[in-house]
Amino acid sequence: MNHPLLSVAALGCAGLCLAGTIPAGVTGDDWPSYGGGDSAWRYSGLTQINRDNVHRLTAAWTFQTGVTEGGFQTTPIVVDGVMYISTSWNRVYAIDAATGRELWHYLYKNPREIGIQYSPWNRGVAVGDGRVFMGTLDNHVVALDQKTGREVWNVTVEDMRQCGCNITGAPLLVGNKVVVGVTGGDSAHRGYLTAFDTATGHLVWRFRTIPGPGEPGHETWKGDSWKFGGGPTWMTGSYDAQLNLIYWGVGNAAADFYGAERSGDNLYTDCIVALDADTGNLKWFYQEVPHDVWDFDAAFECVLLDLPIQGQPRKLLLNVNKGGYAFLLDRVTGEFVAAWPVARNVTWIRGVDAHGHLLGRLEPKENRPTMICPSVGGGRSWNQGAYSPNTGWFYTTGIEWCGKLMARKEAASEGSAFYGGTFQLLPPPDGKAGGHLDAYDPVDGKRFWTYESKYPLLASVLATAGDVVFTGDPTGEFFALDARTGKKLWSFQTGSGHRGSSITYAVGGRQFVATPSGWGSALAGVLAQIWPEAEDFRGGCTLFVFALPEEAPAQ
Amino acid sequence: MILVALLMAQSAVTGERLFAQNCSVGYCHGVGGAAGRGPRLRGRGFEESYLLGVVRNGIPHSAMPAWKGRLSDADILAVVRYVESLSGGAGEQTHATVPEVRAAPVKIPPDVERGREVFFDATRDTPCSTCHELDARGTAVGPDLSKLGKMTPRDIAAALRLEQPSHLVAIRTTGGESIPALVVSEDESFVKLYDLGAALPVLRTLALSQIQSREAIPSWSHSPYLKGIDPAQMADLIAYLRWKAR
Repeated sequence: MNHPLLSVAALGCAGLCLAGTIPAGVTGDDWPSYGGGDSAWRYSGLTQINRDNVHRLTAAWTFQTGVTEGGFQTTPIVVDGVMYISTSWNRVYAIDAATGRELWHYLYKNPREIGIQYSPWNRGVAVGDGRVFMGTLDNHVVALDQKTGREVWNVTVEDMRQCGCNITGAPLLVGNKVVVGVTGGDSAHRGYLTAFDTATGHLVWRFRTIPGPGEPGHETWKGDSWKFGGGPTWMTGSYDAQLNLIYWGVGNAAADFYGAERSGDNLYTDCIVALDADTGNLKWFYQEVPHDVWDFDAAFECVLLDLPIQGQPRKLLLNVNKGGYAFLLDRVTGEFVAAWPVARNVTWIRGVDAHGHLLGRLEPKENRPTMICPSVGGGRSWNQGAYSPNTGWFYTTGIEWCGKLMARKEAASEGSAFYGGTFQLLPPPDGKAGGHLDAYDPVDGKRFWTYESKYPLLASVLATAGDVVFTGDPTGEFFALDARTGKKLWSFQTGSGHRGSSITYAVGGRQFVATPSGWGSALAGVLAQIWPEAEDFRGGCTLFVFALPEEAPAQ
Repeated sequence: MILVALLMAQSAVTGERLFAQNCSVGYCHGVGGAAGRGPRLRGRGFEESYLLGVVRNGIPHSAMPAWKGRLSDADILAVVRYVESLSGGAGEQTHATVPEVRAAPVKIPPDVERGREVFFDATRDTPCSTCHELDARGTAVGPDLSKLGKMTPRDIAAALRLEQPSHLVAIRTTGGESIPALVVSEDESFVKLYDLGAALPVLRTLALSQIQSREAIPSWSHSPYLKGIDPAQMADLIAYLRWKAR
């Protein structure tokens, strides 16, 4: 099922990719940014490792970071044979990507007390303009010299103690700007997305995700609720250079579960926003969940696809939200195209109509627990799916779990936790709790195969032109599936669960597959509410790198 | 002491409510201490003195905050008793650690409270807290303002409109940049400085070889940062600064 609009299917790099020949979605020798390319496909054009030989994959080297708290959630970045990773507590390592030798490290000076609920983990750095950029656990952005790791600039985005927010997501590099999101959907805070000049650290623009007085959309908030209404931007967006638009997913409204104090649609929470890359001005928005009372962020990846819809070529954007629904939008206009579920147990809505409206909302009740599926953990977690132009399919995980949700009125106190209720996770009433990875048609959600997992799959997916799909599970298995059938082709036990994102790259003509291994995170903790044994899942923080065996030299 | 007796009588219901509002919220310790981002508390059998210490003071370099100052001592004890009950009844109670009587809360005048809001007003692009720290909030880039409040309101107002502060320098780089800078530290190779040329101050590290010249700052004014603060708010702000210095 090749899409005729995409010529990239024919692009086999075999470790010899030339810059400029690769569409924004496909990676070659490098893995230049969080989602692979600017289109967030998590798809590599490399074919040296493929479905026929992946069973021969063997460990090439590992890199031990020793930082086990909070899990190893990074997406490694590879540029010109050097890999850059981040760990919890904002440590950054530059590593020779062929050998695993450390080139430099940077240890961020941590505050004595974080004291906020978003914890010390980090999901990756951005690399470009001779710098390595990272958001920090106390809401700073730092720029490091790419050659030495020396700090070049450091800017406080907002005092963590005041906002109760920080940065855990990877920045997105757009031209000479580094764009950074912020957590804060579960705090009394007003979210934003911020762009800094890569050279100087100067603030270039800030887009506030909740309009202030006099701005369009402000009327979707009751009273003063806009001041503390959440709208975090905690994951990483995408960029379309041709349209010069940045696409970013916005998270939930706060208080999470109690909505009476913020009656209205609560723009731009749970929206995809398209911003002019130069100014940060809003070009369009699409709200997936008006007036969210479930903590069902639309903050995950924005996958940019050019596909025909009813015979017409369209520029599209695919976003899976925490409510377990994939939304397909026109990325030029923001118009709704389609929506389809990635989880089987979905009761918070009955469905989505042909115009994108949510049908049959089941909302949590005040002071009375209501069983709602999926759980607040989400029908999918933040770890990204992957799109393969080779198969034309989108590979994403889904989670089967439910929970009792109870709303409770709560006073907003700036920077403090602001949930407006409680939750307790439970297995689905008439089904098994667990996870799965599925291959879908990105337009209509037709499912081609499913890989079942006892536990939720909480690592990102990687797809390659060799028709292999990689991911890992909470028990430490890192495995490869046939992209066309879902058949398991290879697996390797890394000793600790997978919560980060695997990548593939090439150095000197040899293709490598790298995966962080290290259990931890918020969901890793709440998993124990359904699977008590998960409390004892071992932590870790080791990067594993695999390759095909090198040919023995002739004697 | 009567207070101790009162504290001892804190009902389990209070502790449960406080735990639900503050500890089991979201992804932290889970409903009934069943685990989340934070560890499981159910069935652990912690010692009371340990729990009191951790809840009061937090755990350094972790996400566990110090609740001292956020919850009253009585509430902290109620939460601790509730956590103990999750492990099958109150553990070994160390009454010696029951908090001492606290001073009566100070009544904060309304203008001071309003001034505090102006200082930290997150709806402004550059609130005072962007560059100044007070009440353990904000970023300590600019001068410590806790002494400023000892001056008369008129002098404070004048200080806030400072045109050419002596502690700033203009740094010209070999790259042609001109940086209004507040130098933080310097060694034989590098200068660390705050670049005040943007809406958010940037802590930059420049190699000495990048610096072409340093001069007295030709023009830098604090006044633009006061934009949008009306006279009544200014009076409140001054009242807040004076209150902090009292």
